[in-house]
Amino acid sequence: MDQPPTKPPPGYRKTSLEERALKFDSGAPVTGAVAIGDTVASTFGDGIVRFFDPSEDAPAEVHAHNGVVLCCAADRNHLLTGGDDGQFLRIAPDGTVNELANFGSKWVDCVAASNGLAACSSGRVAYIWTSDRSEAAELEHSSTVGGLAFDANGRRLAVAHYGGVTVWEQKKHRWKKSKLFWQGSHGAITFSPDGKFIVTAMQENALHGWRLRGKIDLAMTGYPAKAKSFAWVGETPYLATSGGYEAICWPFDGPQGPMERPPLCVAQHGENVATCVEAFPLLNAVFVGFQDGAVLVSEIEDSKDVMALRGPTGNEVTAIAINQPQSHLLVGDARGHLLWAPLKK
Amino acid sequence: MVSTEQVPVTVLTGFLGAGKTTLLNRILTEQHGHRYAVIVNEFGEEGIDNDLVVDADEEVFEMNNGCICCTVRGDLIRILSGLMKRADKLDAIIVETTGLADPAPVAQTFFVDDDVASRTKLDAIVTVADAVHLDAQLGEHHEAEEQIAFADVVLLNKTDLVDAARLDAVETRIRKINPYSKIIRTTHCEAELNSVLGLDAFNLDRVMEFEPDFLESDHAHEHDDDITSISFVSETPLDIEKFQKWFGKLLQTRGQDILRSKGILNFSNTNDRYVFQGVHMLMDASTMGAWPEGQPRNSRVVFIGRNLDSMGLKEGFESCKAA
Repeated sequence: MDQPPTKPPPGYRKTSLEERALKFDSGAPVTGAVAIGDTVASTFGDGIVRFFDPSEDAPAEVHAHNGVVLCCAADRNHLLTGGDDGQFLRIAPDGTVNELANFGSKWVDCVAASNGLAACSSGRVAYIWTSDRSEAAELEHSSTVGGLAFDANGRRLAVAHYGGVTVWEQKKHRWKKSKLFWQGSHGAITFSPDGKFIVTAMQENALHGWRLRGKIDLAMTGYPAKAKSFAWVGETPYLATSGGYEAICWPFDGPQGPMERPPLCVAQHGENVATCVEAFPLLNAVFVGFQDGAVLVSEIEDSKDVMALRGPTGNEVTAIAINQPQSHLLVGDARGHLLWAPLKK
Repeated sequence: MVSTEQVPVTVLTGFLGAGKTTLLNRILTEQHGHRYAVIVNEFGEEGIDNDLVVDADEEVFEMNNGCICCTVRGDLIRILSGLMKRADKLDAIIVETTGLADPAPVAQTFFVDDDVASRTKLDAIVTVADAVHLDAQLGEHHEAEEQIAFADVVLLNKTDLVDAARLDAVETRIRKINPYSKIIRTTHCEAELNSVLGLDAFNLDRVMEFEPDFLESDHAHEHDDDITSISFVSETPLDIEKFQKWFGKLLQTRGQDILRSKGILNFSNTNDRYVFQGVHMLMDASTMGAWPEGQPRNSRVVFIGRNLDSMGLKEGFESCKAA
């Protein structure tokens, strides 16, 4: 890297998590991270995928893509990745790489998995592979796909694009579509855990949601920046979102969801915009990464205890993931710095 | 946030067959030691000689920001964000548009999208024009006129295929639409690299350098182009409140017809120069420090657009003078 190294501000003291963390400078921007069982997989701007295992001293490295790893998702005990080299890959933690598709000069922009199904998008088309991986169903849209999400049981695939969302539902081995409209460009997308709501992050400073029954719109606006990252937290559940000066958490209990109710706001960090959020289910809490590199953790409801896990570094947090036993946390940033640490001493 | 160096983005427009791909390949094959990414709409038959060519879909989207003429290139937001995640640093990005593309959404993307504006910057709009066919294209396709109107540089190509009189006539017509662009005459797009890349034409610093290049033969031509330009100079200082009121309303009501605007203003209550430039309704403006010694301290504005005669621009500008 030819950019000068950034230093923490003077007088800064390390957090206890930083003191026990494995720190790692990959040299390429961290583009994503996701839990795969005990391990956390992270993806990078130089095509490399790394698996962090609590029982190993160093991450296992896989040279997966010939370019940027643009997107990733957990597919049971494997990792799905899409890259700007046009490859859609399924990678085992032991480093075995299986190419599911290759789109040549077209990027693979989004991937998703659920219940044995794997999906990716390239341009306007979303492709779904069933568990035997033999042939993909091709689902075409009117504009480039901005986000993909399956519901929990893999019956429906929601596809975000310009002008709204297309929901594909598997009926008698065919995928049938229905549409949700909202003007603007829609990106990252998610189903609520109960499958009753869909929420998208927009290319504007807003999220948009729909209650599927009755196709009722939920406009979630007022963000100072784009809300690119979100996570479902707790029993309520809350949808914690980035894009504000703290984590903005929308309640999705009751038939109306967050309509006409204010969100809860936790983990303020001065005038820094939150860039990445991840759920900490054990404590009904949320990890929040900021544009200055700091990471806080805060409970959402009760006491709202806030704790600093990582101090400011000057580099935007681009990925946070906790492994499934909730014992280890991974934080990655735009400069390629990683922190991997046990949450308990 | 740590300020990151912005990667310059050059927009390459021009009608089919004008020589865009020839220019691209000239740029890319020159021994410059720089790393470029090229965003193309579709892989042409000619092929582009670069290892980093990105296939785009020229998706033009309307924004929900209440600005009626505000369209952006959604694919560009996505692709530029992807390119910024690369481990290796890019020296420049070149966006090639289709022949019929309107350059405004590309330029507006840099004004509207914070992510794009923080990591990349619009360097210049370079339009390749075919000296043989431009005359006919200007009459038939409004896109051709827009590409000339938006251009910071017009590469007037295939000059070997027309005689001197015809060449002068074409150049005069370009000047009538856009007297502020730099015209470079070429035969096989043989332009110097530094005359098309690294121009920083959208930097507010550079606005102060503009000097319209009006040709004497301006009145002689017979075409009545839809897009024209107009400029004003005032030696009397302007009143900042009057100006903001007039200009704000002008962009709000007539922004659709104003393609590009720029200006350097001398306000009565400050010693600093005020500089602006805009694309349709979107504007970038800033104070730029004190007026340099020995240079005239006057206000200059320029508009390129449609139906400029009907906007009362001269009266509006005159009414901004400080009492």
